[in-house]
Amino acid sequence: MPRAIYNSTIKHSAIKHPAISNLADARAIPRLVNCVLCPASLPFCVRILLLLPAFILLSRNFAPAADWHLPEQQLARKIVAVTGPGAIALTVNNRSSLGQRDAEIIQNGLRGEMEALGLRFARPEQAAATVTISLSENLTSFAWVAEIRQAAGESAVVMVATPRSGGAPAGHDSVPMALHKTSLWAQDDPILDVAVLEENTAPTHIAVLGTEKVSLYRAQAGKWVLDQAFEIAHSRAWPRDLRGRLVLGKDRLFDVYLPGVICQSTAAAPVGLNCRDSDDPWPLGGAGTSLNAFFSPARNFFTGAIAPTLGKFAMVPKFYSAGPVPREKYALWLFAATDGRIHLIDGVSERTSDFGWGSEIAGVKTACGSGWQILATERGDPSQDSIRAYEFPDRDPVAVTAPADLPGTITAVWTETKGDSAIAIVRNSDTGSYEAFRLAVACNQ
Amino acid sequence: MKHFAWQWLVISSVLAGSLAAETRPQYGGTLHVATRSALTTLDPADRTQPDSLAGRTVTTLLYDTLVTSDDSGRIKPGLADTWQASNHNQRWQFHLRRGVKFHDGTPLSAEIAANSLHFANPSWSVSAQADVLVVEDSGDPELLAELALPRNAIVKRNAESRNADNKVTGTGPFRVADWQPGKKLTLAANEDAWRGRPFLDAIEIEMGKNAHDQMTALDLGKEELVEVAPGQAHRVSQEHYTLLRSEPIVLLALAFSREAASADAQTRREALSLCVDRASIGSVLLQGAGQPAAGILPTWISGYGFVFPVATDLPKARQLRAQVHSAPAWTLGYDANDSLARLIAERIALNARDVGLTLQPASSAAADLRLVEIPLASSDPWIALLEVIQLAGLPAAKSKSTSVEDLYAAEQAALAGKRLIPLFHLPVSYAASRNLKHLSIRADGSVDLAGSWLEAAKP
Repeated sequence: MPRAIYNSTIKHSAIKHPAISNLADARAIPRLVNCVLCPASLPFCVRILLLLPAFILLSRNFAPAADWHLPEQQLARKIVAVTGPGAIALTVNNRSSLGQRDAEIIQNGLRGEMEALGLRFARPEQAAATVTISLSENLTSFAWVAEIRQAAGESAVVMVATPRSGGAPAGHDSVPMALHKTSLWAQDDPILDVAVLEENTAPTHIAVLGTEKVSLYRAQAGKWVLDQAFEIAHSRAWPRDLRGRLVLGKDRLFDVYLPGVICQSTAAAPVGLNCRDSDDPWPLGGAGTSLNAFFSPARNFFTGAIAPTLGKFAMVPKFYSAGPVPREKYALWLFAATDGRIHLIDGVSERTSDFGWGSEIAGVKTACGSGWQILATERGDPSQDSIRAYEFPDRDPVAVTAPADLPGTITAVWTETKGDSAIAIVRNSDTGSYEAFRLAVACNQ
Repeated sequence: MKHFAWQWLVISSVLAGSLAAETRPQYGGTLHVATRSALTTLDPADRTQPDSLAGRTVTTLLYDTLVTSDDSGRIKPGLADTWQASNHNQRWQFHLRRGVKFHDGTPLSAEIAANSLHFANPSWSVSAQADVLVVEDSGDPELLAELALPRNAIVKRNAESRNADNKVTGTGPFRVADWQPGKKLTLAANEDAWRGRPFLDAIEIEMGKNAHDQMTALDLGKEELVEVAPGQAHRVSQEHYTLLRSEPIVLLALAFSREAASADAQTRREALSLCVDRASIGSVLLQGAGQPAAGILPTWISGYGFVFPVATDLPKARQLRAQVHSAPAWTLGYDANDSLARLIAERIALNARDVGLTLQPASSAAADLRLVEIPLASSDPWIALLEVIQLAGLPAAKSKSTSVEDLYAAEQAALAGKRLIPLFHLPVSYAASRNLKHLSIRADGSVDLAGSWLEAAKP
């Protein structure tokens, strides 16, 4: 049955900003499809490779050192307006989430500003006024509050507020066979999947699948720069816990799989994206596997219908994710089913186990160990999920790496199209932002 | 006290956050909830019903607002996906999300949204211009935060409907399946919800249940989510249940029914405010669950709440009492269904007696002053303050700006007459069965159930 076909592209153009708006910061970003598709641009890409470690660091929203000068100046002026020049006894308390170093910097800054305005610091018994400054905060701002008590018994409260900002770090782990994670991208809006479109020793072009668009970024001058963004047209509301997958195409840049919708990028530059309602099956795994499965258009799981059949099995239990463990004469597939268990199906028989895994698993083909590993999520610290690699020498999994901690809740794990690594999407428990990591198994570490 | 507010957030998110890696959300099931409040209307703009946390929870299940406010107070798109302000915030244009339908199938339109907002705020100038909703002559720097309040949810009003259930229709993740005002509300999943069909098939909310009955129902497995009274949280078994606790969002205060009629009356009120032993009430009766307060806004909202002194000052209270010739007895009203309120009222009466003031606790409706619980309307400080000022009949703020000092001045002015004597800021606590997942508390103390799901027992 023919389905509706949509075609849309978000174009970037400079707009005038109103006083307040939630419209995206539409900076004029030059379209650069060439670097994605055209070999002629390779030398440029090679040059910027040297800066890639810096790109990755810079792309992760590191908070710049805060400039406290203005609020320091404002508060000092307000204090002096009450006390007048002279001797005061000063106490500074940090009641906020500011670190000790920042608090000390602010305290020194305040002292400097007050001295510049004619205040001297003395012991309480020698002071004309006592000033207690509290470095406090509310949801949106740091609030610095000065409680002033003067010798005459008068008291006053003055205060200033300055907006908050911040960032968050991530953890690391390693053992013999190691699971390496590389940060690819972070944003406030949900990420469903990320695909590396081009890379040398590190990614130079990536595609980011969000809930409403696919965005293409290239590394340039120390940071990721948006090339193009394609709106995803869909005729009905997305289900909750939306899932989606990016798969690199053989004769086009990429395909997008979403519940009830499939999008294909155009084959030639300039890149476009055609989306249509479709219940076609999604590919499971990466290169070296050929199993596809139908995804429920209104839910967050695969229906269990698979194509081609897996031996005698055309249907498996409803599942969230799957990964293969190829054997010499057959392939064992693992399905993380909606019943919370792992179903192992080899084409002839089905076995059900509970390995204590989460609902996200993915298979990767590597040069390590038996050549295939299953990456499985597991519950770690309540605010920090972890993932580790397993092999299946027999019926039960054997961990081959230590758990790799990720900085929050893992919301998706997909095998990359090449099949040798996977993408994990994490919702950062500190910042609430979404982060994409590439996970790769390294041998003999 | 350092980092206090953020620790609360962590507690909430750690306990409430779903562990997606453990398992993805599962569809299906009916969630059973109990609440103390007995809602009598589902109309979010009906001000005859006192604001309650349960009311906010229900409103967000049935309706959507133009914009929403996240845990950090940042404004996010809701039914409006973009907006622009111009002319010094005097004119706001909201572009509505396409494809959204009310539960009765009517498409969302700017005209319906304008009618809804105008009904809730008759003084606003709201109009529909094609697909754009326009709010003019606002000049309110907190307009977006105001629009995020549950009372400003967008509803379609069916003037002809005689059935109270159908008078207002929303676009929220659940629709009304059955409604017995004051007793029970049954919600069913909205299959066409624009944020996606909720995981739960239905939610049944039993109303008017006291704290003891709620815990019993949870223990018996009849309810999966109940409220926990202040001071009872430590008794909730951490092994069997998930305990959720919000930021301190409820103001517990003494509210006089009228302004002080004379200087003597004002002095007596000042004496009363100085004699209340918040520390012992907090540690003994509230079991440490509340933050002693002398200001309306907690520090996590204002940033300066600690400057209002909470310590008892009996010598000064006695000195003030001695300044007045006579001190007629006051009746102190409290909620007859709330045993904790009775204990607190009795303790305050004892404190008052120590300085020569006479308070007679009474559960009757008529009283000189009442022990009241006021849920703060928003994490936006101005909105929260002005709402309390209006509710308690306090002097209105002269000006409204983005300045923290203006906010402080307005709060000081509101409290100067001692018509309202803040006592505590209380967090809201909920206990949930372990199979209820992805449960979180919003900054306004309501529970976000739209994304919750029930984990089926493993075979």
